[in-house]
Amino acid sequence: MEVMIGLEVHCQLDTKSKLFCSDSTDHHGKPPNADTCPICLGFPGSKPKVNKKAIDYAIMIGMALNCKIAERMWFSRKTYFYPDLPKNFQITQYEVPVASDGYLNVGSSRIRIRRVHIEEDPARLVHMGGDITSAEYVLIDYNRSGTPLAEIVTEPDFKNTKDVRAFLQKLASMLEHLGVYDSSEEGSLRIDANVSIEGGERVEVKNISGFENVEKALNYEIVRQNGMRRMEVEVERETRHFDAESRTTKSLRKKETEDEYGYIFEPDLPEIHINGNWMENVRSAMPELPDQRVARFVREYGLTDYSAGVIVYTDKRLADFFEGCCRIYGRPAEVANWTINYLLKSLNWRSERIGASKVREETFVELLQMIDSGEITERYAKELIKEYVDSGESPRKIVGMEGDGGAAPLEEAVAKVAAENRAAVEELRAGKGEVMGFLIGRVLAETGKRGDPKAIREAIMNYLNGPEAGMPR
Amino acid sequence: MFGLIKSLVKDHLYTLKSTKFDTEGFIEDVLAKSRRLQEQYSPFIAINDSANAEGAGGMLYGLPVSVKDNICTRGLQTTAGSRILEGYVPPFDATAVAKVRQVGGIVIGKTAMDEFGFGTFATTCAYGVPKNPFDKDRSCGGSSGGAACVTAAADFPHIALAQSTGGSITAPAAFTGTVGLTPTYGRVSRYGLIDFSNSMDKIGVISRCVYDSALMLSVMSGYDPLDSTSSAMPSQDYTKYMTDSLVGVRIAVPREYFSDVVDRRISERVMDALAQLEDCGATYESVSLATTKYAIAAYYLIAVSEASTNLAKYCGLRYGLHDSIDGNFDAYFSKVRSEGFGEEAKRRIILGTFARLAGFRDAYYLKALKVRTKIIEEFKEVFRKFDVIATPSMPILPPRFSEIERMAPIEKYNVDLLTTAPNMAGVPTLSVPTGTVGGLPSGMQLIADHFREDALVKVGSVCEGLKWK
Repeated sequence: MEVMIGLEVHCQLDTKSKLFCSDSTDHHGKPPNADTCPICLGFPGSKPKVNKKAIDYAIMIGMALNCKIAERMWFSRKTYFYPDLPKNFQITQYEVPVASDGYLNVGSSRIRIRRVHIEEDPARLVHMGGDITSAEYVLIDYNRSGTPLAEIVTEPDFKNTKDVRAFLQKLASMLEHLGVYDSSEEGSLRIDANVSIEGGERVEVKNISGFENVEKALNYEIVRQNGMRRMEVEVERETRHFDAESRTTKSLRKKETEDEYGYIFEPDLPEIHINGNWMENVRSAMPELPDQRVARFVREYGLTDYSAGVIVYTDKRLADFFEGCCRIYGRPAEVANWTINYLLKSLNWRSERIGASKVREETFVELLQMIDSGEITERYAKELIKEYVDSGESPRKIVGMEGDGGAAPLEEAVAKVAAENRAAVEELRAGKGEVMGFLIGRVLAETGKRGDPKAIREAIMNYLNGPEAGMPR
Repeated sequence: MFGLIKSLVKDHLYTLKSTKFDTEGFIEDVLAKSRRLQEQYSPFIAINDSANAEGAGGMLYGLPVSVKDNICTRGLQTTAGSRILEGYVPPFDATAVAKVRQVGGIVIGKTAMDEFGFGTFATTCAYGVPKNPFDKDRSCGGSSGGAACVTAAADFPHIALAQSTGGSITAPAAFTGTVGLTPTYGRVSRYGLIDFSNSMDKIGVISRCVYDSALMLSVMSGYDPLDSTSSAMPSQDYTKYMTDSLVGVRIAVPREYFSDVVDRRISERVMDALAQLEDCGATYESVSLATTKYAIAAYYLIAVSEASTNLAKYCGLRYGLHDSIDGNFDAYFSKVRSEGFGEEAKRRIILGTFARLAGFRDAYYLKALKVRTKIIEEFKEVFRKFDVIATPSMPILPPRFSEIERMAPIEKYNVDLLTTAPNMAGVPTLSVPTGTVGGLPSGMQLIADHFREDALVKVGSVCEGLKWK
């Protein structure tokens, strides 16, 4: 059974003020409902006024997604009653979106983009004493009300959840490269996913935050729909809600069609003409995009397409980090290897993105330099990196080899190992070099795999020639 | 002939400038008189007991101004004539009100209106129906009925801020023998005007004479960054177009506006006026505005479609009428809306929701917008050759309340026959009195091209000197 998935990605545009009023979009350290005014609260008599920056950003997104940009466009009212909508209608775009008919290549597949449109974010609801279906009551925070959103709608071109994940990652990286989106804001990227299984109706899973949740929600939904098919229960067209805690989806309502929202043209906002001049200004302000950056990484740093892709498409901050490390350390192949194969794994294991982590270019380079100088083994470095990602401490400090405090523990470990393995020590003394490896291994185990085998070998030789040799401890 | 109608406002403002004046005593007197008017005719929803004059030295300093209740006034209850906004005190002034206050206008009260502007007779107001000063059993017209009532009855200098969507200034002006100026759409900022049909709503003026309307328009008009649909054309002093000669002025007289549906006594008055205007140098000619017959249907479709979205916000959650919170959101807002909206508001919400629904949107809402475009084109065509169009203001004389009660909704809508087309085209109109017929006022509607309020003031000022048999 073929699975078909289409996405609606809502991206909060990182403008200073809201879409239709001058309230701030930065609510850090402010109580609920602090950034509100008669316009974003929908007071009688107030009128919206378009923030042109939001349109610039949406045009940029459209261009980066290879879309056609509308020459004329307008806003519409989408009417539905919901407590998060102060006007009980949402100002959005209907007939003509700012951008349409584009695509984004992900690996070997091309995901077609149906449209990109601009709309206002509703208020944030906090469900008290339960979830969306069981809450006793709901608190409303209008700080979010009126935040500009770009809604990116794909065609149902995804056949599996892995492609969805890859697409979302690349899209997020692209949005970050464009500088239109702040990934550190909670809920700045929210996804509605439409899933259907060949022959069945389409089910929309609404309002999923976080890529992992998208994957979980889709996996659950595919299993659920497949199960229904096997039981010969018809899959109905409906809207479902993803519950991140139980990792399941719950039915919200039988789905309305778009026409049932009773769209009219937003009469408070005149038609907007995007002329060539405007387009040119936006185009010339376009920064380097992920695909271009990948090509440059291959060209400038000699990375493989694969490595460059992993670094750039994962996260713009990761790509910035890579370049920062290269500036300090050089040796891009090493940086790429350690970034992709070890650093990224540790971050993923912690479900952390580099921007929010304690990893810094200087300390990461320090770790690479420790390997180079033989202070630590590669094998040990692979262990150390986990601790480093956890704590963000300087790797030298973690290893505890800073200053002269480093020498004593090694000698102690050698003495201990020698005492416990007298036979091996005797064999070594007798010229059986092959036991050296065994002893080094024991010492490494003793030091918690810290230490450079060369140094350990030296310490063992010192021990053999030293005064305590042969003396029982 | 110019100046035969004496502007109380002009004299008052002149006196204020030239003599020492007891502002507080004056305001007290005006408020006392307003309360008496309220007892007699109930034109107000609220009288501003703390009225005061700001903006010393401004061009309207010391002038009493009433404000239609759908225009927001900071610190003064604004309900748009609806119970659902009972007790709502806006935290801001509408731009038009702010401009009036800045130059010294005194807001004396909020005038009665049909709920959200939904009516032609000011009989759907939740707070009492204003009575016609010519005959208290008759309607003042609507929806700006309270504004016209105060204007007609007040014996103190006063100008009313009114508002029209489909004829809400012309109708009450005609029914009360006052002057009603409906500016070009976008000439006056709508910021702070409680929306009925945003693509057609216009703040305008009702006054005793043309000079007063021209003066108030000069104060209120101009670009407002808070209203994206306001025009960038600079404001001007419209009083300078007052004249006594109409040499070279070409007037179009559209046949469709003189049909049998129109009370013959009213159209005869317009023809009489045209003959006299000819004596003042104007020429007139019959024309056809054939699309007029679709205007009422198209107007109501657009108006109710937009209105039904505008009224969605009133759900008892953030302002206005509240109720005890029980049940879920759907149950709560349904309860508040059932209690808060009047019958006509509910009718228009249902009509509007229907007109924009799937399957009907193309046939109703979108088709109505196409008709509007046709109507605009037709007006534009006429204004290629003519300066103004002259029509009767209303097809009937002010009706008795008992007659209105017997009218079906569609009959009421049909009374808007002469005003819907210019209003939906966004062209400016001026209703001037054409004397009384059997003791009841009748009016003539002048229509000009977009942003040609100057032509209206010019012709309107001459009309004030005309004699009636």
